[in-house]
Amino acid sequence: MRRRGTEVADTRPALLCGGEPVAIAEVLPRRRVVVLGQVTHMRARPTDGIPSLAVTISDGTGAVTAVWTGRRAIGGITLGRRLAVEGVGRLVGDRLEFTNPSYELQP
Amino acid sequence: MRVRIVGAGSVGRYMAVQLATSGHDVTILDQDPQVVSRHRWLHEGVHWEEGDGCEPATLARVGAAEVDVVAAVTGDDEDNLVVSLLAKQEYAVPRVVARVNNPNNEWMFNETWGVDVSVSTPHLLTGLVEEAVNVGSFVRLLSFDQGRARLAEVTLADTSPAIGNEIAALGLPRESTVVAVLRSAQVVVPRGDTVLLAGDEVLVLVTGDAEPDVRRVLVG
Repeated sequence: MRRRGTEVADTRPALLCGGEPVAIAEVLPRRRVVVLGQVTHMRARPTDGIPSLAVTISDGTGAVTAVWTGRRAIGGITLGRRLAVEGVGRLVGDRLEFTNPSYELQP
Repeated sequence: MRVRIVGAGSVGRYMAVQLATSGHDVTILDQDPQVVSRHRWLHEGVHWEEGDGCEPATLARVGAAEVDVVAAVTGDDEDNLVVSLLAKQEYAVPRVVARVNNPNNEWMFNETWGVDVSVSTPHLLTGLVEEAVNVGSFVRLLSFDQGRARLAEVTLADTSPAIGNEIAALGLPRESTVVAVLRSAQVVVPRGDTVLLAGDEVLVLVTGDAEPDVRRVLVG
């Protein structure tokens, strides 16, 4: 990965190795991608009594939903937070949904 | 359809042959090289791969990123759950089918683990036994889509309010459909004007909360 030293703030996800973030409007289902956006909705969504957390992330071109199973909250993920997620999306209705994607909190 | 089957026991092999015979693109995966070499020539339409389906790399090798269905049918519930989760989470496989071996584990075979359809043989057998001994009661056979749709069966007793009526006139709720009527060992394809008789086995697909209404119409 390209390093530009400490003087320039590099806002690209550092831990996620899936490459450059892709505009959400251009994300195709069933391809591994990194998307970067702001949390616009958060909802605890239990299935058969098992908790899960659904987080909608929007980057201005579109929105995706990330679902983490087995938990009601994730430390650091709050409304308005900038977040990078990497995963494989599938269409649920007209929205792409990622199941248990890797994520990184962004400044 | 492109189908990948994990687990080449009798269940997996049977499914592979049936699906390949129907013209589907079928690959079956097993981690035991002896199983693979013994059954490799089972059917010319079935592709074989040796490997551990609980490894993402193995699933990638059999094309999990493009397939339509993954069926996890090993004899180990743990393995079936891991395969299901990987198929859904890493490859967004549209339809993940998993076999439940121990009915005590059935509660875990849901969306949380990436399972779209779970099939529990013990559960199914119980349903079929109930169905064989119970006339005039409502027996659930299978559930699909995380339990949102269920296939149920009712053998119409002499006292059923449905007898002598056309299906369209029964007043079944919109969330239900009669999918087949078994009448003296024959399958009647149901139409709106099919008249139900005592002794008919009526198979109904029920979604949502329609079950009590369907029960009222068919059982009384």
